[in-house]
Amino acid sequence: MVNRMVFANLVTRPVRTLVAVMAIAVEVVLILMVVGLTSGLLEEVAKRTQGVGADIMVQPQTTSLFMGFTGAPMPIQIQDRLAQVPQVEAVAPVMLQMSTASGVSLIYGIDTESFDQVTGGFRYLEGRGLEQPDEVLVDDIFAHSQGLHAGDDLELLNHPLRLAGIVEHGKGARIFMKIDALQDMMGSVGKASVFFVKLSDPDHTGNVLAQFREILPNYQLRDMREYLSLMTSSNIPGLGNFINVMIGLAISIGLLVIFISIYSTVVERTREIGILKSMGASKKYIVNLVLRETTLLTILGIGTGIGLSYLVRSLIVHTFPTMTILLTGEWMLRASLIALATSLLGASYPALKATRQDAIQALAYE
Amino acid sequence: MIQVENLRKIYRLGSVDVPALRGVNLSVKEGEFVSIVGPSGCGKSTLLYVIGGLTAPTSGRVLLDGVDLGDLKEGQRTELRKQKIGFIFQRFNLLPTLTAFGNIALASDIAGTLNGTTRSEMNSVIQMLGLQDRLKHRPGELSGGEQQRVAIARAVVNRPKILLADEPTGNLDTENSEVVLNMLKELNHKFRQTILMITHNPEVATYSDRIVNMRDGHVLDH
Ligand SMILES: Nc1ncnc2c1ncn2[C@@H]1O[C@H](COP(=O)(O)OP(=O)(O)OP(=O)(O)O)[C@@H](O)[C@H]1O
Ligand SMILES: [Mg+2]
Repeated sequence: MVNRMVFANLVTRPVRTLVAVMAIAVEVVLILMVVGLTSGLLEEVAKRTQGVGADIMVQPQTTSLFMGFTGAPMPIQIQDRLAQVPQVEAVAPVMLQMSTASGVSLIYGIDTESFDQVTGGFRYLEGRGLEQPDEVLVDDIFAHSQGLHAGDDLELLNHPLRLAGIVEHGKGARIFMKIDALQDMMGSVGKASVFFVKLSDPDHTGNVLAQFREILPNYQLRDMREYLSLMTSSNIPGLGNFINVMIGLAISIGLLVIFISIYSTVVERTREIGILKSMGASKKYIVNLVLRETTLLTILGIGTGIGLSYLVRSLIVHTFPTMTILLTGEWMLRASLIALATSLLGASYPALKATRQDAIQALAYE
Repeated sequence: MIQVENLRKIYRLGSVDVPALRGVNLSVKEGEFVSIVGPSGCGKSTLLYVIGGLTAPTSGRVLLDGVDLGDLKEGQRTELRKQKIGFIFQRFNLLPTLTAFGNIALASDIAGTLNGTTRSEMNSVIQMLGLQDRLKHRPGELSGGEQQRVAIARAVVNRPKILLADEPTGNLDTENSEVVLNMLKELNHKFRQTILMITHNPEVATYSDRIVNMRDGHVLDH
């Protein structure tokens, strides 16, 4: 009976119902998108970095896990010292540079020979490898998103460059050029941002890491097998806060709209609540009625929100093919619980108000 | 069954005190059908609301079935109202979104007996009030007389000991008024239903066993 009343209430005020459902949906979409975008980005970067095929990654002490942030603070000579350690098969120095051409993309400045040794070489889909300092390689996803073909001109970092070839994606970055050319462009000659190290047998990683630590006590040495699991927002300074702020924002939207919506419902139905009281309905009964309506609205909102998230994701990915958005069951559940908790919180004051309304006033003839 | 002693009720409107009841004494026996007659504003509705526990008196006592309402907390008063009292109003006060059946069933739901043995009880009440063909209609699709019959069904479906009716025929034409009043009378005869009915129409009051006159917050000739 309560359910029938709740349902009837939602149907008699379709616009309010729609607004409330949409607000909850926006709350859910916002949470899922923020988390999906950041975790998608992290996972994508992690997978690409792993895709380089190195066993060990050497970085300056202060570098964040998220390798976007640039600069080339390590002398390139380290390469030779690492290469002398037994079991080390190849060491590839790479200089990292962020480019803001077409979204944010990472450029790898590579030494073709060592990079190929570590990665096993690019698979060329178009064109050929890097030869000249003004040449770049891009991966197929980047090329597709920009409509680029081998031989095209393009501008990166305010320099006119030429596309030598298109390679299969998955090897660290989406854009590659010669390391000395990038060093020249950025004014950091002889420096690298990271060294990718390939071992003859990955089982010796622990052993080699110990030796590296002796040679390079002040550097960050990372076992690539752990890398993916380390790439979570909580390990990236600032990112966790950003996500929390965005979730907080989403919660505020849900809270306010549910409050207004349920509050107006309660005010509008003062008389009905008075009638229920005259029939002996307890406070619990009335609160239950209000909260059930809230719950039903929220469930509709969550369903809509999850559906919309898939829609938004396919729109974003269609528009920006270089982006990855992860929609996980875990976060859908979390977003749902957050939305439900928010709604019940937002409805609690109106529900309380409903139980406190004066039945007599409500039942008065006029 | 109903015992009212020196009941006073003062409404506070901002800084103005409006005395609605100024020392009312009244007693209604089990199975009695009593009507309260008086001009507008003399405090009839207020008396009914206080007896039904919808609002607390400023002073004085109300005993229902021997229980002093003043001794009860609000939750307990609500519980008592649920078990012992059925209200009928001038404006019918049906829930507009529920069907006639839904309105009647709601009373059982609130009483917590909807899934119990009340189904046959419900049917007999519905039969008695001649509502069997109207059950699927919403209040807006029913005539005033039909709505009031639904309201009566809702009020008595849980077999309350006391029926409190505030101008039950105030919004009805003569024909429908007669129907409703005859039903109240039938309830009173058949089930010894205790009924306290408010009206300002002396003709309506003749349906009851006893007439109580009210003026300015007092009960006369008591
Ligand atoms: N909620 C309220 N707040 C303030 N004053 C009220 C309230 N309800 C009733 N009154 C006042 O109390 C007095 C008694 O009102 P009540 O409604 O009990 O009279 P009544 O006999 O039922 O009148 P009627 O025949 O018009 O229904 C009136 O003066 C009324 O204005
Ligand atoms: Mg009145």
